[in-house]
Formats: sequence, C-alpha cells, structure tokens
Amino acid sequence: MPGSESLVWVAAVTIVIWLGIFAYCMALDRRVRRLEEEQ
Amino acid sequence: MTKTALRTSLPWLLGVWMVLVTLGAFFYAPSAEGFKGESARIVFFHVPQAWVAVLAFCVNLVASVRYLRRRKALDDARAAAAARLGLVFSVLATVTGSLFANVMWNSFWNWDPREVSIAILLLIYAAYFALREAVVDEERRATLSAAYAVLAFVTMPFLIFVVPRIYWSLHPDTIIGATGKLKLEMESRMLQVLLGSLVGFTGLFVWLYTLDVRLARVRLARQKREEG
Repeated sequence: MPGSESLVWVAAVTIVIWLGIFAYCMALDRRVRRLEEEQ
Repeated sequence: MTKTALRTSLPWLLGVWMVLVTLGAFFYAPSAEGFKGESARIVFFHVPQAWVAVLAFCVNLVASVRYLRRRKALDDARAAAAARLGLVFSVLATVTGSLFANVMWNSFWNWDPREVSIAILLLIYAAYFALREAVVDEERRATLSAAYAVLAFVTMPFLIFVVPRIYWSLHPDTIIGATGKLKLEMESRMLQVLLGSLVGFTGLFVWLYTLDVRLARVRLARQKREEG
C-alpha cells in the first residue's frame, strides 16, 4: 500500500475500475431492456 | 416517479454514490492507527464485499428453498444468480484481504483461520456450479442444486462467523464481536464512509442480481415460446 502522496493515484485507479464496472452494467442494462422490449 | 424513470435514475445515482464513497475512503476518512501506512483504507472495500457475499448466499438459500417448494424455473435462476454474485464478491473479498495481509504481515497468504475458512467457502460454492454444469436435465439440475445450496448454506455461518472467532487470528477485530454484538468503535468519518460503502455495494449487488434475473426471465419466456 502506498504512502499518503500516492493516495491520489490509488483513488484515481479505484474510480477508473468502478467506472468500468458501471459502464459494463449500464451496457448490460440496455441490452436486457432491449430484449424485454423485443418480447 | 414512474417505475421506468426510477429504473433509469437509480443506476446513475449509484454511480455517483460510489465515486463519492471512493473519494471519501481516500480523502475524507482519516488514517487508522496501528496499521502500516494507509493499508487500513482497504476496509472500506473489503468489508462491504464480504457483507455482499454473505447477503448473496442468503438470497441463494431463500431462492433455493422457494424452488424446492414451488418448482418454478425462475426461482432456480434466482438462486444461481445469487450464488454467482456471492462467489464473485467472495473472490473480491479474498483478494482485497490478501493485499492487506501482504502489507501488514509481508505475505499474501498466512493460513489464518479467516483465510482458510473463506477458501473452503469458495470451494463449496464453486462445487455448486460444478454440480449445475454436470447435470443436463434442467429440472433435475434445479432440484439437486437447490438441495445442495441448502446444505452449503449450513456451513456458511460456521465458516464465516464461528471458526474465525474460536481460533486466534491475525485478522483485525471484526465489526460483529465474539458475543454477536455490534462493535462500531470507529472514528465517525471512517464509520460514515464504511456505512456509505456498505449501502453502495448492496446497491450494486441488487442491480446485478436484478439484471441477471431479468435476463433469465427473458430466456425462460423464449424457451417456453419455442416449446409451445
């Protein structure tokens, strides 16, 4: 684990990971909605 | 607010919430005493992941029991979705725990009772999916895996709550103490971030679980149409 000066970087990487997961879930959400509408 | 509007806005709210939680975990909560460097900040992610894993296994149990009582394919899909997420969050909790262990004790794996019990739990729920893959007939697969899920759940409280409290452990003091009482002796800003993270991770679990179940509902309806 880094020292305090690297916290910004760790936070940035964590946020990027979270945004990646979020974007994936949003894409999945849109796909499920489209499939539901097709029915 | 309509259901559709709620369904659209809640994920965005969760997205913003989790960004705030992450910022809070690194810049709002103070450093914890008695830990190397900033390693204790991992608690804001590790504890919610472990909590969601337990929650998911509870949902798996409920859905499995409902399947055994009602024999509805959707209940089986609900059970599988919950177990899948439980397994994913258990792996995440294990990985974050190992990272912390490496900083604190210079080793990713120390054969600590908590590490061993989560490894056993992972194997138990991995076997649930091995069983599901091994049985071709859908009804038989659903019945067998529901029965297995009930048995698997019996081990969960023992492995998560009992074993690590019986033996001496390297693991920092837990939130729920040996007497079963809540011990929230934490600096207030740390507690705020931890509770915020618990809410966020629970929201993430609900979102992913709902998506999986909705997908299963579409698949089952399609299957029904093709058969009929």
